[in-house]
Amino acid sequence: MLIEQLINGITLGSIYAIVALGFTLVFGVLGIINMAHGEIFMFGAFIGVIVTTSLQLPLWLGFLAAILITAIMGYMLERFALRPLRSKQGVSHLAPLISTIGVSILLENLSHHLFGAGNHPFRASFAEINFQIGSITIYLVQIVIFVISVILMMGLSFWLGKTKAGKALRATAENLETASLLGVDTKRMITMTVIIASAMGGIAGILVGMAFNSVTPQMGLSMGLKGLAIIILGGMGNVKGAMAGGLILGLAETFIVVYGDSGYRDAIAFLAIIVILLIRPQGLFGQKIST
Amino acid sequence: MLAELINPYHFQVASFILINIILGISVYITLSTGQLSLANAGFMGIGAYTSALLTIHFDLPIVLGIIAGALVAALLGILIGIPTLRLQGVYLAIVTLGFGEVIRVVFINWESLTKGSVGISGIPHIGREILRVLKGFGFDPKVIGLQNNQFIFLSIFLLLFIITIGVIWFFRRQHRSRVGRAFAAIKLDEKAAESMGINITYYKVLAFAQGALLSGFAGALYAHVLAYISPADFAYHRAVEILIFVVFGGSEVIWGPIFGAFFLTLMPEVLRFISEYRYMIYGLIIIILMAVRPQGLIDVNLLNWVKTKGKKRGQKHGTGNTKSM
Repeated sequence: MLIEQLINGITLGSIYAIVALGFTLVFGVLGIINMAHGEIFMFGAFIGVIVTTSLQLPLWLGFLAAILITAIMGYMLERFALRPLRSKQGVSHLAPLISTIGVSILLENLSHHLFGAGNHPFRASFAEINFQIGSITIYLVQIVIFVISVILMMGLSFWLGKTKAGKALRATAENLETASLLGVDTKRMITMTVIIASAMGGIAGILVGMAFNSVTPQMGLSMGLKGLAIIILGGMGNVKGAMAGGLILGLAETFIVVYGDSGYRDAIAFLAIIVILLIRPQGLFGQKIST
Repeated sequence: MLAELINPYHFQVASFILINIILGISVYITLSTGQLSLANAGFMGIGAYTSALLTIHFDLPIVLGIIAGALVAALLGILIGIPTLRLQGVYLAIVTLGFGEVIRVVFINWESLTKGSVGISGIPHIGREILRVLKGFGFDPKVIGLQNNQFIFLSIFLLLFIITIGVIWFFRRQHRSRVGRAFAAIKLDEKAAESMGINITYYKVLAFAQGALLSGFAGALYAHVLAYISPADFAYHRAVEILIFVVFGGSEVIWGPIFGAFFLTLMPEVLRFISEYRYMIYGLIIIILMAVRPQGLIDVNLLNWVKTKGKKRGQKHGTGNTKSM
């Protein structure tokens, strides 16, 4: 029982971690909270549903389509909602936040009109396959989710740490002007960051669809809010913090459903950030910054 | 004569415009220190539920219920504000957003008190209460040629109108006072304001608490005007809707949220076919405005332009009224 819940918690947590990575990448480079990330994630899930359930195509095509479309959405988001604000002088730091809220509202209601408000089941062909190890049941879906999440996280860490593009991205995150002086094409890096973050959101969308077997237009909002909570928990713009924060939240939510009151599951994330901001405002893994 | 002019539906819409104006001002006040609060829908819910429960279960007069609702919201605002306002603006936006969600989850789950997602109905209605009190004094709406129903909606509208005027008057006065100047200084540059001896934490918490008080107040009014509330009324969408009043109208001057609330509440009522696409249009409005005119439609320059224009016209035509505001 305990181990099964642990596995459930880790599965949920690794999805949260991927969602939070999308937030943290954008925040690290641009210093912007991308409120539309949850809705892009939701679109990824819907693309997955359409490709695998409505069109009866294999799952990998679903992933491909979701990555492609969410990447395009990421580009549009950067091009139309963020770039116009960056070139302007004297714009309040809240303007990009409000602008992405606008995008999120637009996307959520667009999906209402496109896909309908109801619940869409997500049928992965291997949803029912499970293994018995002793008294523990593990579903193949859980393993797939976990493996994909780990690959994504490791890939991102490698890319950020070892490749030239990753270094350029970190330089841009460190200081935009200096990076630009040193010959980094910061404009391209920023666009790329938003695209990568959005594509990761799309992948997370399909994973959630597989894990919970349901996709609704409202899921973007709740997942987006949780992603925000996680990056505060782990430290803003901190990649490792986002992963750890995601796992912590996933485990905490799973265990409160088992041992506490399931109705309050969605409130944990925010109670956690209110507490963390009181005790350790820079987040669990954040560096102390003097302002 | 009067009876033909009064359509309860029009007055209902007008009442909602007035409540939305108060809500818009509540966000504007917090924004006037440069802090974005997305918890105002939550505070509105607190005010609404507090007042509704007190008047239903303890037979409190509506006036006291509304005051209690506003005060409880303000108290929570202070409790949330003190820890979070020491942080940068973006944190506050997220925490307040999260706070709103926590409030909603609590409303849904605390079923013994709030009846869960079904909501509370049968909340004492302000208009009927006014009518009952007046009838106690021997007044009958038929004297001025009105049906009971018409009188109820008319009285709500007049009451809200007076309240809204009072609120606008107060915050316009405050804007020109020491407090208002402190708010403006903090918005322009926190560090400079601090070095001038302004206690920025105090003023930020003050602005935040005022916003909470005002939205709790508006929420309580909302509960007693509609006589029915549910957690869905105070969710994220409400928070965004209130924010849009301010972003659309303008966040620099108090006339911005007033115009925003007025226009955006009226628009879906007048253009019925828009109502379905309302939130999509809201989203587009936000994106376009942030790119083109981040300060909103009405800003200081526009007001000055209107003022000078009004002056010129005044001289030309000789009408003495130059004070256009």
